Amino acid sequence: MEQYIQYVLDSSVFILKGSILTIQLYFATILFSIPLGIVLALMKISKFKFLRIAIGFYTWVFRGTPLLLQLFFTYYGLAIIGINLPAFTAAALTFIINYSAYLTEIYRAGIESIDKGQYEASKALNMNYYQTMRRIILPQVIRRTIPPTCNEAITLVKDTALVVVIGMGDLLLSAKELFTRDFAITPFAIAAVVYLLMTTVIVYFFRKIEIKYSIYE
Amino acid sequence: MKNKSIKLLALFLTLVFLSFGCGKDNSNDKSLKQIQAKGFFIVGLDDQFPPMGFRGQDNNEIIGFDIDLAKEAAKRLGVQVQFKPVAWDGIILSLNKGDIDAVWNGMTITDERKQKIEFSKPYLNNRQIIMVTLDSTLSTIEMLKGKKLGLQLGSSSETALNSKPEVVKQLKELKKYENNTLALMDLAAKRIDAVVVDEIVGRWNMAKKPGIYKVLSEDMGTELYGVGLRKNDITFKEALDKVLTEIKNDKAGEEISKKWFGENILLK
Repeated sequence: MEQYIQYVLDSSVFILKGSILTIQLYFATILFSIPLGIVLALMKISKFKFLRIAIGFYTWVFRGTPLLLQLFFTYYGLAIIGINLPAFTAAALTFIINYSAYLTEIYRAGIESIDKGQYEASKALNMNYYQTMRRIILPQVIRRTIPPTCNEAITLVKDTALVVVIGMGDLLLSAKELFTRDFAITPFAIAAVVYLLMTTVIVYFFRKIEIKYSIYE
Repeated sequence: MKNKSIKLLALFLTLVFLSFGCGKDNSNDKSLKQIQAKGFFIVGLDDQFPPMGFRGQDNNEIIGFDIDLAKEAAKRLGVQVQFKPVAWDGIILSLNKGDIDAVWNGMTITDERKQKIEFSKPYLNNRQIIMVTLDSTLSTIEMLKGKKLGLQLGSSSETALNSKPEVVKQLKELKKYENNTLALMDLAAKRIDAVVVDEIVGRWNMAKKPGIYKVLSEDMGTELYGVGLRKNDITFKEALDKVLTEIKNDKAGEEISKKWFGENILLK
């Protein structure tokens, strides 16, 4: 029994080391894809037809193909034509582009849900487009889109496990390494706990934000 | 609230311990009879492992050296053989769970695997070679110091490398891939400096893509390939060993070996 507890502890330490990479990738993706999603959403509802079509094409491609395939392509595919991205760069880039596509649609829906009267009122107050968006529309959009964004943020935690295919030593790979070495399921159970802890933190964080933004309702 | 979470934790830990503590049962061995009764046995394999087992160019059939060998063995056992692609990292669990009856897939006989499963008599020699790109300046194991090395996760290449901790310690990075093909692709892209791989697999890749790779004269050791079987399946193992020995020593084995490797490399 004591031996087993020691095994669980050792395994946990090893798996937690792997989770550092998972966390790095997670923050890189979140920090870039949320702002990018907002900007792209604004572009998608802009009056320039070309922009709308371009963004539409982008979300169509990146929401329409598996993330795994995109990851494969960025890492192995681009290498064939001479673009040699380091593993982390390739992974972060793919995740940012992929998640921005989903977030773009979420924020577009959020922006379009705001009543037209508010734009008219802003205009009456002599606000320009930038001011209207910055002061009136976007704060409400953020408030309304917190639940779907939280969904994406949770999905992202688990999607980071896909980087195993490009040989990155993340949380899941660490667990897999122990699994192939010991043929025991325990490392996967530990990995599950770590993932669960991470999502718990994220859910908690989003709930706090939701409360903070509720003043806009 | 706190009480509840402790209960949940306790439940979870119980599950963890249970998953670890599952023992094996010692039923009487009817493995050969069962296989004869159903008329076939199932070979589990990683179907991305040329030249041992992989998808053929023209159709969906799995082909390879091990495939031909397994078919020949099945013929002599008077049964059929079915091939089932399985993820390599879980293949031993699949075997012991009963999803497959044999792992016939260039499987190296190692001590740690022997604790979990049984092996047939060895049928092939295999070296763990070090592959680098053609223009690489690396020439010895010593020179791997400070370099990035790649290999397949859970492969015997990993075991071979780990038996040389002094080499592992001095590496800049050790990258583990889902399969050998990915590791070799990354080597061709020069994101890693060398790959440790089974000679059988490495040579095949070199023949497929000439002018990219070369093999260092030093290697990481020699090992043996065998067919992985369940520990309890004693009668099946005996029958399989018998036909394997026959195949190794007659024309059929020689033909299969020549077809895939150009020469007869089967162990006598």
